[in-house]
Amino acid sequence: MLKASDLMVFYENMLALNNVTIDIKSNSITGIFGSNSAGKSTLMHMISGIILDMQKKEEMKGGERISSYGTIDFEHQEISKLKPHERARMGIILCPERRRIFAESSVMENLKIGAFLSTSAETKENLDYVLHIFPHLTKHLHRQGGFLSGGEQQMLAIGRAIMAKPKLLLLDEPLLGLSPLYQKIVVTAIKEIRNSKKIAIIITEQYARPIIPIIEYGYIIENGSSVLEGTGNELLDNPDVKSAYFGV
Amino acid sequence: MKRSERVDRGINVRSEGIYAISSLKEILYLAGPRMALVLILFLLPVVLDSVPYWKRVVNIMLVYSLLAISFDFLANYVGLVCLGCSFFVGVGGYTSAILNSYLHVPIYLSIPLASVLGAVICTLLLLPCLWLRGVYFAIITLMYPLLLTRVIEALNIFGGTNGISGIESLPGNDLENYIIIVVMLAILFGLRRFVNQDIGLVMRGVKDNDQSIRASGINVTWIKTQAVFIASLIGCFAGSYLVHLYIWAGLSLFALDFSIIPIAAVTIGGSGFLIGAVVGSFILVPLSEFLRFFGSFRIVIYCVVLTLFIVFKSEGIMMYISRRYHQFERWVDV
Repeated sequence: MLKASDLMVFYENMLALNNVTIDIKSNSITGIFGSNSAGKSTLMHMISGIILDMQKKEEMKGGERISSYGTIDFEHQEISKLKPHERARMGIILCPERRRIFAESSVMENLKIGAFLSTSAETKENLDYVLHIFPHLTKHLHRQGGFLSGGEQQMLAIGRAIMAKPKLLLLDEPLLGLSPLYQKIVVTAIKEIRNSKKIAIIITEQYARPIIPIIEYGYIIENGSSVLEGTGNELLDNPDVKSAYFGV
Repeated sequence: MKRSERVDRGINVRSEGIYAISSLKEILYLAGPRMALVLILFLLPVVLDSVPYWKRVVNIMLVYSLLAISFDFLANYVGLVCLGCSFFVGVGGYTSAILNSYLHVPIYLSIPLASVLGAVICTLLLLPCLWLRGVYFAIITLMYPLLLTRVIEALNIFGGTNGISGIESLPGNDLENYIIIVVMLAILFGLRRFVNQDIGLVMRGVKDNDQSIRASGINVTWIKTQAVFIASLIGCFAGSYLVHLYIWAGLSLFALDFSIIPIAAVTIGGSGFLIGAVVGSFILVPLSEFLRFFGSFRIVIYCVVLTLFIVFKSEGIMMYISRRYHQFERWVDV
Protein backbone atom coordinates (compact mmCIF):
# COMPACT_ATOMS: atom_id res chain seq x y z
CA MET A 1 0.00 0.00 0.00
CA LEU A 2 2.73 2.43 1.00
CA LYS A 3 6.36 2.06 0.17
CA ALA A 4 8.80 4.67 1.33
CA SER A 5 12.32 4.16 0.00
CA ASP A 6 15.66 5.68 0.89
CA LEU A 7 14.24 8.36 3.13
CA MET A 8 16.87 10.83 4.26
CA VAL A 9 16.29 13.90 6.37
CA PHE A 10 18.83 16.48 7.46
CA TYR A 11 18.11 19.04 10.15
CA GLU A 12 20.74 21.52 9.03
CA ASN A 13 23.81 19.25 9.11
CA MET A 14 22.41 16.64 11.46
CA LEU A 15 21.29 13.42 9.87
CA ALA A 16 17.91 12.49 11.35
CA LEU A 17 16.90 9.70 8.97
CA ASN A 18 19.44 7.66 7.08
CA ASN A 19 18.30 5.52 4.16
CA VAL A 20 15.18 4.19 5.82
CA THR A 21 12.97 2.01 3.68
CA ILE A 22 9.63 0.81 4.94
CA ASP A 23 6.90 -1.14 3.29
CA ILE A 24 3.37 -1.04 4.64
CA LYS A 25 0.82 -3.64 3.57
CA SER A 26 -2.85 -2.79 3.43
CA ASN A 27 -5.02 -3.82 6.35
CA SER A 28 -2.06 -4.33 8.64
CA ILE A 29 -0.60 -2.82 11.77
CA THR A 30 3.06 -1.90 11.58
CA GLY A 31 5.10 -0.96 14.61
CA ILE A 32 8.10 1.35 14.52
CA PHE A 33 10.23 1.22 17.64
CA GLY A 34 13.19 3.29 18.70
CA SER A 35 14.47 5.34 21.57
CA ASN A 36 14.30 9.11 21.87
CA SER A 37 15.97 10.88 18.94
CA ALA A 38 15.92 7.70 16.86
CA GLY A 39 13.94 9.43 14.13
CA LYS A 40 10.47 7.97 14.66
CA SER A 41 8.66 11.29 14.62
CA THR A 42 10.70 12.49 11.66
CA LEU A 43 9.64 9.37 9.79
CA MET A 44 5.98 10.12 10.62
CA HIS A 45 6.45 13.72 9.49
CA MET A 46 8.00 12.48 6.27
CA ILE A 47 5.10 10.17 5.48
CA SER A 48 2.41 12.66 6.38
CA GLY A 49 4.22 15.54 4.67
CA ILE A 50 4.37 17.75 7.76
CA ILE A 51 8.11 17.98 7.14
CA LEU A 52 7.43 20.20 4.13
CA ASP A 53 5.49 22.56 6.36
CA MET A 54 8.25 22.59 8.98
CA GLN A 55 10.75 23.23 6.21
CA LYS A 56 8.80 26.26 5.03
CA LYS A 57 8.35 27.68 8.51
CA GLU A 58 12.01 27.31 9.43
CA GLU A 59 12.95 28.96 6.17
CA MET A 60 10.62 31.88 6.88
CA LYS A 61 12.16 32.59 10.24
CA GLY A 62 15.68 31.90 9.06
CA GLY A 63 16.23 28.94 11.35
CA GLU A 64 17.52 25.47 10.60
CA ARG A 65 17.42 24.26 7.05
CA ILE A 66 15.60 20.97 6.68
CA SER A 67 16.36 18.92 3.60
CA SER A 68 14.62 15.67 2.77
CA TYR A 69 15.20 13.04 0.11
CA GLY A 70 13.61 9.79 -0.92
CA THR A 71 10.50 8.55 -2.62
CA ILE A 72 7.17 7.68 -1.09
CA ASP A 73 4.81 5.57 -3.10
CA PHE A 74 1.23 5.48 -1.90
CA GLU A 75 -1.25 3.33 -3.84
CA HIS A 76 0.97 3.50 -6.93
CA GLN A 77 1.34 7.24 -6.80
CA GLU A 78 4.50 9.18 -5.97
CA ILE A 79 3.56 11.55 -3.16
CA SER A 80 6.83 12.83 -1.75
CA LYS A 81 6.28 16.27 -3.28
CA LEU A 82 2.61 16.57 -2.25
CA LYS A 83 1.60 19.01 0.47
CA PRO A 84 0.32 17.64 3.80
CA HIS A 85 -3.31 18.56 3.11
CA GLU A 86 -3.22 16.82 -0.27
CA ARG A 87 -1.87 13.69 1.39
CA ALA A 88 -4.61 13.92 4.01
CA ARG A 89 -7.17 14.05 1.21
CA MET A 90 -5.65 10.86 -0.20
CA GLY A 91 -6.17 9.20 3.18
CA ILE A 92 -2.87 9.53 5.04
CA ILE A 93 -3.92 10.87 8.43
CA LEU A 94 -1.47 11.70 11.20
CA CYS A 95 -2.42 11.55 14.85
CA PRO A 96 0.42 13.69 16.18
CA GLU A 97 2.69 13.10 19.13
CA ARG A 98 1.49 14.71 22.36
CA ARG A 99 -2.04 14.65 20.94
CA ARG A 100 -2.27 18.31 19.87
CA ILE A 101 -6.02 18.42 20.36
CA PHE A 102 -7.82 21.75 20.06
CA ALA A 103 -7.85 22.67 23.73
CA GLU A 104 -10.55 25.34 23.55
CA SER A 105 -13.02 23.36 21.47
CA SER A 106 -15.35 20.80 22.97
CA VAL A 107 -14.90 17.09 22.33
CA MET A 108 -17.75 17.16 19.81
CA GLU A 109 -16.21 20.11 17.99
CA ASN A 110 -12.81 18.43 17.93
CA LEU A 111 -14.34 15.39 16.28
CA LYS A 112 -16.25 17.52 13.80
CA ILE A 113 -13.08 19.43 12.86
CA GLY A 114 -11.50 16.05 12.12
CA ALA A 115 -14.44 15.22 9.86
CA PHE A 116 -13.86 18.20 7.59
CA LEU A 117 -13.21 15.95 4.59
CA SER A 118 -16.27 13.70 5.06
CA THR A 119 -19.87 14.06 3.97
CA SER A 120 -22.45 14.53 6.70
CA ALA A 121 -23.65 10.92 6.45
CA GLU A 122 -20.09 9.65 6.85
CA THR A 123 -19.57 12.04 9.73
CA LYS A 124 -22.57 10.67 11.56
CA GLU A 125 -21.51 7.11 10.96
CA ASN A 126 -17.92 7.77 12.02
CA LEU A 127 -19.03 9.69 15.08
CA ASP A 128 -21.12 6.74 16.23
CA TYR A 129 -18.17 4.50 15.53
CA VAL A 130 -15.72 6.63 17.55
CA LEU A 131 -18.12 6.75 20.49
CA HIS A 132 -18.57 3.00 20.16
CA ILE A 133 -14.86 2.21 20.46
CA PHE A 134 -14.18 4.98 23.01
CA PRO A 135 -17.27 4.99 25.26
CA HIS A 136 -15.32 7.22 27.70
CA LEU A 137 -15.81 10.15 25.38
CA THR A 138 -19.60 9.91 25.41
CA LYS A 139 -20.08 11.54 28.76
CA HIS A 140 -17.62 14.38 28.02
CA LEU A 141 -18.96 15.35 24.58
CA HIS A 142 -19.54 18.97 25.54
CA ARG A 143 -16.48 19.50 27.72
CA GLN A 144 -13.54 21.51 26.49
CA GLY A 145 -10.80 19.31 25.06
CA GLY A 146 -8.15 20.90 27.27
CA PHE A 147 -9.92 19.77 30.45
CA LEU A 148 -9.88 16.07 29.60
CA SER A 149 -7.40 13.77 31.27
CA GLY A 150 -4.36 12.63 29.32
CA GLY A 151 -5.88 9.28 28.44
CA GLU A 152 -9.13 10.79 27.27
CA GLN A 153 -7.24 13.34 25.22
CA GLN A 154 -5.40 10.50 23.51
CA MET A 155 -8.69 8.77 22.72
CA LEU A 156 -10.01 12.04 21.37
CA ALA A 157 -6.93 12.48 19.19
CA ILE A 158 -7.30 9.00 17.73
CA GLY A 159 -11.03 9.59 17.30
CA ARG A 160 -10.38 12.86 15.50
CA ALA A 161 -7.99 11.06 13.13
CA ILE A 162 -10.60 8.37 12.40
CA MET A 163 -13.18 11.03 11.58
CA ALA A 164 -10.98 12.03 8.64
CA LYS A 165 -11.57 8.66 6.91
CA PRO A 166 -7.98 7.41 6.91
CA LYS A 167 -6.73 4.71 4.61
CA LEU A 168 -3.38 4.86 6.37
CA LEU A 169 -3.46 5.98 9.98
CA LEU A 170 -0.21 7.21 11.52
CA LEU A 171 -0.19 7.07 15.30
CA ASP A 172 2.81 8.87 16.73
CA GLU A 173 3.46 7.60 20.26
CA PRO A 174 -0.19 6.96 21.15
CA LEU A 175 0.73 5.50 24.55
CA LEU A 176 2.79 8.48 25.68
CA GLY A 177 2.11 9.15 29.35
CA LEU A 178 -0.79 6.73 29.71
CA SER A 179 -1.38 4.44 32.66
CA PRO A 180 -1.21 0.68 31.96
CA LEU A 181 -5.02 0.52 32.11
CA TYR A 182 -5.47 3.25 29.51
CA GLN A 183 -2.68 1.76 27.42
CA LYS A 184 -4.67 -1.45 27.28
CA ILE A 185 -7.86 0.36 26.27
CA VAL A 186 -6.07 2.27 23.51
CA VAL A 187 -4.25 -0.80 22.21
CA THR A 188 -7.47 -2.82 22.09
CA ALA A 189 -9.18 0.03 20.31
CA ILE A 190 -6.41 0.26 17.71
CA LYS A 191 -6.79 -3.42 16.94
CA GLU A 192 -10.56 -3.02 16.76
CA ILE A 193 -10.18 -0.10 14.32
CA ARG A 194 -7.98 -2.15 12.02
CA ASN A 195 -10.37 -5.10 12.09
CA SER A 196 -13.55 -3.18 11.38
CA LYS A 197 -12.29 -0.35 9.13
CA LYS A 198 -9.78 -2.50 7.19
CA ILE A 199 -7.16 0.24 7.16
CA ALA A 200 -3.40 0.20 7.52
CA ILE A 201 -2.01 1.59 10.75
CA ILE A 202 1.52 2.60 11.67
CA ILE A 203 2.34 2.95 15.37
CA THR A 204 5.54 4.40 16.73
CA GLU A 205 6.48 3.74 20.31
CA GLN A 206 9.54 3.66 22.52
CA TYR A 207 8.48 0.77 24.68
CA ALA A 208 7.38 -2.08 22.45
CA ARG A 209 5.82 -4.49 24.90
CA PRO A 210 2.18 -3.24 24.88
CA ILE A 211 2.16 -2.92 21.10
CA ILE A 212 3.92 -6.10 20.03
CA PRO A 213 0.89 -8.44 20.37
CA ILE A 214 -1.14 -6.52 17.82
CA ILE A 215 1.44 -5.78 15.13
CA GLU A 216 1.93 -7.79 11.97
CA TYR A 217 5.32 -6.34 11.16
CA GLY A 218 7.79 -4.14 12.94
CA TYR A 219 10.84 -1.98 12.32
CA ILE A 220 13.46 -0.96 14.80
CA ILE A 221 15.13 2.38 14.23
CA GLU A 222 18.35 3.48 15.85
CA ASN A 223 20.06 6.82 15.25
CA GLY A 224 18.09 7.38 12.09
CA SER A 225 18.70 4.02 10.44
CA SER A 226 16.46 1.02 10.33
CA VAL A 227 18.52 -1.70 12.03
CA LEU A 228 16.10 -4.58 12.19
CA GLU A 229 12.77 -5.57 10.76
CA GLY A 230 10.52 -8.56 11.06
CA THR A 231 7.27 -9.90 12.42
CA GLY A 232 6.48 -9.43 16.07
CA ASN A 233 7.89 -12.81 17.06
CA GLU A 234 11.05 -12.34 15.02
CA LEU A 235 11.69 -9.09 16.85
CA LEU A 236 11.00 -10.76 20.17
CA ASP A 237 13.55 -13.46 19.46
CA ASN A 238 16.43 -11.03 19.09
CA PRO A 239 18.23 -10.77 22.45
CA ASP A 240 19.44 -7.19 21.91
CA VAL A 241 15.98 -6.03 21.01
CA LYS A 242 14.56 -7.83 24.00
CA SER A 243 16.72 -5.95 26.44
CA ALA A 244 16.46 -2.58 24.72
CA TYR A 245 12.79 -2.35 23.81
CA PHE A 246 10.96 -4.89 25.92
CA GLY A 247 12.70 -4.42 29.23
CA VAL A 248 13.31 -8.13 29.66
CA MET B 1 22.72 13.67 -5.02
CA LYS B 2 24.14 16.95 -3.78
CA ARG B 3 23.12 19.01 -0.82
CA SER B 4 24.30 22.44 0.16
CA GLU B 5 25.64 22.46 3.66
CA ARG B 6 26.12 25.38 6.03
CA VAL B 7 29.33 25.30 8.02
CA ASP B 8 30.63 27.75 10.61
CA ARG B 9 33.67 29.65 9.45
CA GLY B 10 36.87 28.61 11.18
CA ILE B 11 37.38 32.07 12.55
CA ASN B 12 33.88 32.02 14.02
CA VAL B 13 34.64 28.84 15.93
CA ARG B 14 38.06 30.11 17.03
CA SER B 15 36.74 33.43 18.26
CA GLU B 16 34.23 31.81 20.60
CA GLY B 17 36.63 31.03 23.42
CA ILE B 18 39.77 32.55 24.85
CA TYR B 19 41.32 32.48 21.35
CA ALA B 20 39.18 35.48 20.53
CA ILE B 21 42.05 37.69 21.64
CA SER B 22 44.80 35.51 20.21
CA SER B 23 45.42 37.63 17.15
CA LEU B 24 44.36 40.84 15.49
CA LYS B 25 42.34 38.92 12.92
CA GLU B 26 40.08 37.35 15.54
CA ILE B 27 39.68 40.63 17.40
CA LEU B 28 38.75 42.37 14.16
CA TYR B 29 36.32 39.59 13.25
CA LEU B 30 34.46 40.10 16.52
CA ALA B 31 34.76 43.84 16.95
CA GLY B 32 34.73 44.81 13.28
CA PRO B 33 30.96 44.95 12.68
CA ARG B 34 30.37 46.79 15.95
CA MET B 35 33.16 49.28 15.26
CA ALA B 36 31.80 49.78 11.74
CA LEU B 37 28.38 50.74 13.11
CA VAL B 38 29.88 53.16 15.62
CA LEU B 39 32.20 54.68 13.01
CA ILE B 40 29.48 55.12 10.40
CA LEU B 41 27.17 56.78 12.89
CA PHE B 42 29.85 59.18 14.12
CA LEU B 43 30.87 60.05 10.57
CA LEU B 44 27.33 60.64 9.31
CA PRO B 45 26.97 64.21 10.67
CA VAL B 46 30.40 65.10 9.25
CA VAL B 47 29.63 63.67 5.82
CA LEU B 48 26.19 65.27 5.67
CA ASP B 49 27.48 68.60 6.93
CA SER B 50 26.55 70.40 3.71
CA VAL B 51 22.96 69.07 3.67
CA PRO B 52 21.32 70.06 6.98
CA TYR B 53 18.03 68.53 5.86
CA TRP B 54 19.55 65.06 5.77
CA LYS B 55 21.20 65.66 9.11
CA ARG B 56 17.68 66.12 10.42
CA VAL B 57 16.65 62.88 8.73
CA VAL B 58 19.49 61.11 10.52
CA ASN B 59 18.13 62.38 13.84
CA ILE B 60 14.62 61.17 13.04
CA MET B 61 16.05 57.86 11.87
CA LEU B 62 17.82 57.40 15.21
CA VAL B 63 14.64 58.31 17.11
CA TYR B 64 12.78 55.64 15.18
CA SER B 65 15.53 53.12 15.80
CA LEU B 66 15.23 53.80 19.55
CA LEU B 67 11.51 53.11 19.32
CA ALA B 68 12.16 49.99 17.26
CA ILE B 69 14.66 48.75 19.86
CA SER B 70 12.05 49.29 22.56
CA PHE B 71 9.42 47.41 20.54
CA ASP B 72 11.83 44.58 19.73
CA PHE B 73 12.87 44.28 23.38
CA LEU B 74 9.29 44.09 24.63
CA ALA B 75 7.98 41.82 21.89
CA ASN B 76 10.81 39.36 21.40
CA TYR B 77 12.48 39.27 24.80
CA VAL B 78 9.51 39.64 27.16
CA GLY B 79 6.63 38.57 24.95
CA LEU B 80 4.59 41.76 25.34
CA VAL B 81 3.49 43.01 21.94
CA CYS B 82 3.25 46.76 22.37
CA LEU B 83 1.43 48.50 19.53
CA GLY B 84 1.72 51.89 21.15
CA CYS B 85 5.25 53.21 20.93
CA SER B 86 3.59 56.58 20.27
CA PHE B 87 2.23 56.36 23.81
CA PHE B 88 5.79 56.45 25.16
CA VAL B 89 6.75 59.22 22.72
CA GLY B 90 3.73 61.31 23.64
CA VAL B 91 4.08 60.94 27.40
CA GLY B 92 7.84 61.60 27.30
CA GLY B 93 7.39 64.53 24.93
CA TYR B 94 4.63 66.22 26.90
CA THR B 95 6.43 65.69 30.22
CA SER B 96 9.54 67.29 28.81
CA ALA B 97 7.56 70.18 27.33
CA ILE B 98 5.74 70.83 30.61
CA LEU B 99 8.97 70.69 32.60
CA ASN B 100 10.82 72.97 30.23
CA SER B 101 8.15 75.41 29.14
CA TYR B 102 5.90 75.73 32.21
CA LEU B 103 8.33 74.94 35.05
CA HIS B 104 11.46 76.38 33.37
CA VAL B 105 13.62 73.37 34.05
CA PRO B 106 16.80 73.73 31.95
CA ILE B 107 17.13 71.42 28.95
CA TYR B 108 20.00 69.32 30.32
CA LEU B 109 17.75 68.39 33.24
CA SER B 110 14.42 68.25 31.46
CA ILE B 111 15.37 65.50 29.02
CA PRO B 112 16.63 62.99 31.63
CA LEU B 113 13.93 63.98 34.10
CA ALA B 114 11.22 63.63 31.47
CA SER B 115 12.57 60.24 30.44
CA VAL B 116 12.40 58.88 33.97
CA LEU B 117 9.15 60.61 34.97
CA GLY B 118 7.52 59.67 31.68
CA ALA B 119 8.63 56.06 32.10
CA VAL B 120 7.13 55.98 35.59
CA ILE B 121 3.84 57.40 34.28
CA CYS B 122 3.75 54.92 31.37
CA THR B 123 4.54 51.99 33.65
CA LEU B 124 1.88 53.02 36.15
CA LEU B 125 -0.72 53.40 33.40
CA LEU B 126 0.18 50.01 31.92
CA LEU B 127 0.39 48.30 35.30
CA PRO B 128 -3.29 47.20 35.45
CA CYS B 129 -3.01 45.34 32.16
CA LEU B 130 0.37 43.72 32.74
CA TRP B 131 -1.08 40.39 33.74
CA LEU B 132 -2.88 40.31 30.41
CA ARG B 133 -1.16 38.57 27.56
CA GLY B 134 -1.11 38.63 23.81
CA VAL B 135 -3.77 40.60 22.06
CA TYR B 136 -5.19 42.24 25.21
CA PHE B 137 -1.96 43.99 26.07
CA ALA B 138 -1.53 44.98 22.42
CA ILE B 139 -5.02 46.50 22.23
CA ILE B 140 -4.60 48.48 25.43
CA THR B 141 -1.27 49.91 24.35
CA LEU B 142 -2.83 50.81 21.01
CA MET B 143 -5.72 52.52 22.78
CA TYR B 144 -3.78 54.68 25.27
CA PRO B 145 -2.34 57.17 22.73
CA LEU B 146 -5.80 57.66 21.23
CA LEU B 147 -7.24 58.13 24.70
CA LEU B 148 -4.64 60.70 25.76
CA THR B 149 -5.10 62.63 22.50
CA ARG B 150 -8.82 62.94 23.16
CA VAL B 151 -8.25 63.89 26.80
CA ILE B 152 -5.87 66.69 25.87
CA GLU B 153 -8.19 67.85 23.09
CA ALA B 154 -11.39 67.74 25.13
CA LEU B 155 -10.09 69.28 28.36
CA ASN B 156 -7.99 71.78 26.41
CA ILE B 157 -5.06 71.23 28.77
CA PHE B 158 -1.36 71.51 27.79
CA GLY B 159 -2.17 73.88 24.98
CA GLY B 160 -4.99 71.75 23.62
CA THR B 161 -4.83 71.34 19.84
CA ASN B 162 -2.26 74.14 19.54
CA GLY B 163 0.32 72.24 21.57
CA ILE B 164 3.03 73.67 23.78
CA SER B 165 5.50 76.05 22.19
CA GLY B 166 8.38 78.08 23.56
CA ILE B 167 10.52 75.09 24.36
CA GLU B 168 14.28 75.44 24.57
CA SER B 169 15.99 74.04 21.49
CA LEU B 170 18.92 71.65 21.51
CA PRO B 171 22.22 73.53 21.64
CA GLY B 172 24.20 73.61 18.42
CA ASN B 173 23.79 71.60 15.27
CA ASP B 174 26.47 69.00 15.96
CA LEU B 175 25.53 68.37 19.57
CA GLU B 176 21.94 67.76 18.50
CA ASN B 177 23.24 64.92 16.32
CA TYR B 178 25.76 63.47 18.70
CA ILE B 179 23.42 63.35 21.72
CA ILE B 180 21.07 60.95 19.99
CA ILE B 181 23.90 58.97 18.37
CA VAL B 182 25.64 58.36 21.69
CA VAL B 183 22.42 57.56 23.53
CA MET B 184 21.26 55.19 20.79
CA LEU B 185 24.59 53.31 20.80
CA ALA B 186 24.63 53.17 24.60
CA ILE B 187 21.10 51.79 24.73
CA LEU B 188 21.74 49.32 21.92
CA PHE B 189 24.91 47.84 23.39
CA GLY B 190 23.63 48.13 26.97
CA LEU B 191 20.41 46.31 26.18
CA ARG B 192 22.22 43.60 24.25
CA ARG B 193 24.27 42.99 27.37
CA PHE B 194 21.24 43.29 29.63
CA VAL B 195 19.23 40.57 27.89
CA ASN B 196 22.01 38.08 28.60
CA GLN B 197 22.21 38.90 32.31
CA ASP B 198 20.22 36.85 34.82
CA ILE B 199 17.24 39.20 34.76
CA GLY B 200 17.30 39.23 30.96
CA LEU B 201 17.24 35.44 30.89
CA VAL B 202 14.22 35.45 33.21
CA MET B 203 12.48 37.91 30.89
CA ARG B 204 13.09 35.63 27.92
CA GLY B 205 11.73 32.80 30.04
CA VAL B 206 8.55 34.81 30.66
CA LYS B 207 8.08 34.97 26.92
CA ASP B 208 8.62 31.24 26.44
CA ASN B 209 6.63 29.83 29.32
CA ASP B 210 5.39 32.07 32.10
CA GLN B 211 3.94 29.18 34.09
CA SER B 212 7.39 27.65 34.56
CA ILE B 213 8.73 31.04 35.64
CA ARG B 214 5.93 31.29 38.23
CA ALA B 215 6.72 27.77 39.37
CA SER B 216 10.31 28.87 39.96
CA GLY B 217 9.07 31.34 42.54
CA ILE B 218 9.48 34.46 40.44
CA ASN B 219 6.82 37.16 40.31
CA VAL B 220 6.04 37.45 36.61
CA THR B 221 4.17 40.74 36.89
CA TRP B 222 7.13 42.36 38.64
CA ILE B 223 9.47 41.16 35.88
CA LYS B 224 7.11 42.53 33.27
CA THR B 225 6.89 45.84 35.14
CA GLN B 226 10.65 46.19 35.00
CA ALA B 227 10.68 45.37 31.30
CA VAL B 228 7.95 47.88 30.55
CA PHE B 229 9.82 50.50 32.56
CA ILE B 230 12.97 49.95 30.50
CA ALA B 231 11.07 50.05 27.21
CA SER B 232 9.13 53.17 28.15
CA LEU B 233 12.33 54.83 29.38
CA ILE B 234 13.75 54.41 25.89
CA GLY B 235 10.51 55.58 24.27
CA CYS B 236 10.15 58.59 26.57
CA PHE B 237 13.71 59.66 25.89
CA ALA B 238 12.95 59.55 22.16
CA GLY B 239 9.82 61.64 22.74
CA SER B 240 11.51 64.24 24.88
CA TYR B 241 14.39 64.53 22.41
CA LEU B 242 11.90 65.05 19.59
CA VAL B 243 10.13 67.81 21.49
CA HIS B 244 13.38 69.70 21.97
CA LEU B 245 14.30 69.08 18.34
CA TYR B 246 11.02 70.54 17.05
CA ILE B 247 10.80 73.18 19.86
CA TRP B 248 7.16 72.25 20.02
CA ALA B 249 5.01 69.55 21.61
CA GLY B 250 1.65 68.70 20.12
CA LEU B 251 -0.88 65.99 19.54
CA SER B 252 1.15 64.67 16.59
CA LEU B 253 3.45 63.06 19.17
CA PHE B 254 0.70 60.51 19.67
CA ALA B 255 0.50 59.88 15.91
CA LEU B 256 0.18 56.33 14.65
CA ASP B 257 3.46 56.71 12.71
CA PHE B 258 5.45 56.33 15.91
CA SER B 259 3.73 53.02 16.59
CA ILE B 260 3.76 51.51 13.12
CA ILE B 261 7.14 52.41 11.61
CA PRO B 262 9.11 50.80 14.48
CA ILE B 263 7.16 47.57 14.03
CA ALA B 264 7.80 47.62 10.29
CA ALA B 265 11.48 48.32 10.97
CA VAL B 266 11.75 45.33 13.27
CA THR B 267 10.03 43.13 10.69
CA ILE B 268 12.43 44.19 7.96
CA GLY B 269 15.59 44.17 10.03
CA GLY B 270 14.92 40.87 11.74
CA SER B 271 13.21 40.42 15.07
CA GLY B 272 14.92 39.33 18.24
CA PHE B 273 18.32 40.91 17.56
CA LEU B 274 17.91 44.55 18.69
CA ILE B 275 20.47 45.47 16.02
CA GLY B 276 17.92 44.29 13.46
CA ALA B 277 15.57 47.00 14.69
CA VAL B 278 18.26 49.62 14.15
CA VAL B 279 19.12 48.38 10.66
CA GLY B 280 15.43 48.25 9.78
CA SER B 281 14.85 51.88 10.67
CA PHE B 282 18.07 52.89 8.90
CA ILE B 283 16.47 51.50 5.77
CA LEU B 284 12.85 52.53 6.24
CA VAL B 285 13.20 56.16 7.33
CA PRO B 286 15.57 57.30 4.54
CA LEU B 287 13.47 55.27 2.09
CA SER B 288 10.37 57.12 3.13
CA GLU B 289 12.26 60.42 2.67
CA PHE B 290 13.38 59.43 -0.83
CA LEU B 291 9.83 58.50 -1.69
CA ARG B 292 8.61 62.03 -0.96
CA PHE B 293 9.53 62.57 -4.59
CA PHE B 294 6.48 60.48 -5.54
CA GLY B 295 4.10 62.68 -3.58
CA SER B 296 0.99 60.99 -2.32
CA PHE B 297 1.97 57.81 -4.15
CA ARG B 298 4.62 57.40 -1.46
CA ILE B 299 2.58 55.26 0.89
CA VAL B 300 1.70 52.82 -1.89
CA ILE B 301 5.33 52.19 -2.79
CA TYR B 302 6.21 52.01 0.88
CA CYS B 303 3.58 49.33 1.46
CA VAL B 304 4.65 47.34 -1.60
CA VAL B 305 8.28 47.34 -0.43
CA LEU B 306 7.20 46.22 3.02
CA THR B 307 5.01 43.43 1.66
CA LEU B 308 7.74 42.17 -0.65
CA PHE B 309 10.16 42.09 2.26
CA ILE B 310 7.77 40.16 4.47
CA VAL B 311 6.94 37.64 1.77
CA PHE B 312 10.43 37.02 0.39
CA LYS B 313 12.82 37.81 3.23
CA SER B 314 10.70 37.23 6.29
CA GLU B 315 13.73 36.15 8.34
CA GLY B 316 14.95 39.77 8.28
CA ILE B 317 18.03 41.39 6.85
CA MET B 318 20.17 41.02 9.96
CA MET B 319 19.49 37.29 10.20
CA TYR B 320 20.63 36.91 6.61
CA ILE B 321 23.72 39.07 7.00
CA SER B 322 24.86 37.47 10.24
CA ARG B 323 24.48 34.00 8.75
CA ARG B 324 26.59 35.02 5.76
CA TYR B 325 29.15 36.50 8.12
CA HIS B 326 29.48 33.51 10.42
CA GLN B 327 28.91 30.62 8.04
CA PHE B 328 29.67 29.55 4.52
CA GLU B 329 27.95 27.09 2.24
CA ARG B 330 29.38 24.21 0.29
CA TRP B 331 27.99 21.38 -1.77
CA VAL B 332 28.41 17.88 -0.37
CA ASP B 333 27.28 14.45 -1.45
CA VAL B 334 24.27 13.12 0.34
